Amino acid sequence: MKPKLRQISPILMELYWDEKPNDVLLNHLLSWDNAISSQFGNEVIEVRKGFQTLSCLLKNNLKESDLTAWQNFVEANIELSPLPTKLWEIPVCYDPELGKDLISLSKSLSLDIEKIITLHTEQTYRIHFFGFLPGFMYLNGLDPALHFPRKSIPDRKIEHGSVAIGGAQTGIYPTESPGGWHVIGKTPIRLFDQNLNPPVFAKPGEQIQFIPISREEFEQLSFDPKPIKSND
Amino acid sequence: MIKDVGFLEILKTNPGTSVQDHGRIGLGKWGIPISGVMDRRSYSWINHLLKNDSSAAVIEILQPGFRCRFDSYTTIGVAGANAEIRKNGDLIPSAIIRIQPDDELEIGKFLTGSIVYLGIAHGFQTERVLTSRSLYSGITLSKMLAKGDKIPFFTNQSFGKSTFSSAKKNMIWFENEVLEVYPGPDFEELSTETQNQLLDTKFTISTLANRMAFQLEELLPNNISERLTAPVYPGTIQLTSGGKMIILMRDAQVTGGYPRILQVAEDALSIVAQKKVGQKIQFQLKNLPKIE
Repeated sequence: MKPKLRQISPILMELYWDEKPNDVLLNHLLSWDNAISSQFGNEVIEVRKGFQTLSCLLKNNLKESDLTAWQNFVEANIELSPLPTKLWEIPVCYDPELGKDLISLSKSLSLDIEKIITLHTEQTYRIHFFGFLPGFMYLNGLDPALHFPRKSIPDRKIEHGSVAIGGAQTGIYPTESPGGWHVIGKTPIRLFDQNLNPPVFAKPGEQIQFIPISREEFEQLSFDPKPIKSND
Repeated sequence: MIKDVGFLEILKTNPGTSVQDHGRIGLGKWGIPISGVMDRRSYSWINHLLKNDSSAAVIEILQPGFRCRFDSYTTIGVAGANAEIRKNGDLIPSAIIRIQPDDELEIGKFLTGSIVYLGIAHGFQTERVLTSRSLYSGITLSKMLAKGDKIPFFTNQSFGKSTFSSAKKNMIWFENEVLEVYPGPDFEELSTETQNQLLDTKFTISTLANRMAFQLEELLPNNISERLTAPVYPGTIQLTSGGKMIILMRDAQVTGGYPRILQVAEDALSIVAQKKVGQKIQFQLKNLPKIE
């Protein structure tokens, strides 16, 4: 499962895989991400991730001799470090007042609300990368029974903390934003804090699970936030 | 040097005025856009003229009708779009302007270009959030400056030489219509006919142009399926399923699902930033060494 290399511009170098996104690919991707920082740490400003891609922004225009170094790099073998075992518990209130698309989604999917909640909370989801909005986690693992196309006309405003389904994905809106996903609930916890660096608590490779909470617990946690729980 | 704080008060502004610097570099992995000035070339120039640190913060002005007052001595510089600048009501030609307490500055009509940069000695001293002073919704408290805002700077009474610099840079560079681009990861997926159309057409900047992206008016046939979400950078040109072309700018999100057909060269992105709605651009493909 060797990555391929492509140069996009004099300052953009990309490693990519023609593989289906899953834990195995993510394991390779994160291990190569680490290898890039040890090999090219001084030349790379940042590495952005996608499902099949690591895209490196370079400090200086790449010279032909540097290109050879990158080519040799992707042909070498690297040691794979295992995926993290950390599992974060994200409390979510699946109240139709907070998950304003829950009722319509239940009709569209022909699943009752209880079943949607069970399917959504049974799974653990793997964090692949952050994108779309500051602190937005791209999660893999949504039960196929909950896959549903995005809205053709996006909503103008989705509140921060909204837990939503779009296509084959589920996610949490860390900040208020327009969006085309179907909102099924809301978490009282803060996913993004611009006063911290890093501004997020979880890392790619770690997992999350949604824990259903009552409306009372939601209100209580909104007023009096508790540290986010994890398995270690 | 004693650094006393002075303030610039905004007396009048249209939407789109913001504090910007070099942006939030290296935070893309948390989903944070790079932000920063749209036209890096004018930004570097103004900080060079003011002998500032290369990452000093400036005010980015996207529309005419900006007026402000200074409460202390300082030196300011104006760069970017060629605009009518007035100090205390008088038209002034200079790029570098000495300021005394209660001086008023007005940025009027834009003659060429679409973004004016107002730089100041030592840079504006607003709060840094995640390494940068660039305003961005969801990261900084506000995303734009408004009437009544007071922007801090370090006042400096000791002028040194009192020569009035009138350094003015040649503005021709952003009137260039030809932009250097590199083939994006999905360029090869376009048919030869579409590739030729992409390089032969003069595209028009549409009204959907902001700090996140510039959409082009003309459509391009799109036979490429949607991609799995992949990283994007300022300068990435996406092709939507409906055939719209989108040039991503500084506030663009860090990932996207549309095919990435071109990547605008870094220098050419400053040219794009200075284009007005309705102006034309054409792409000139540059190839990189082939990777086997």
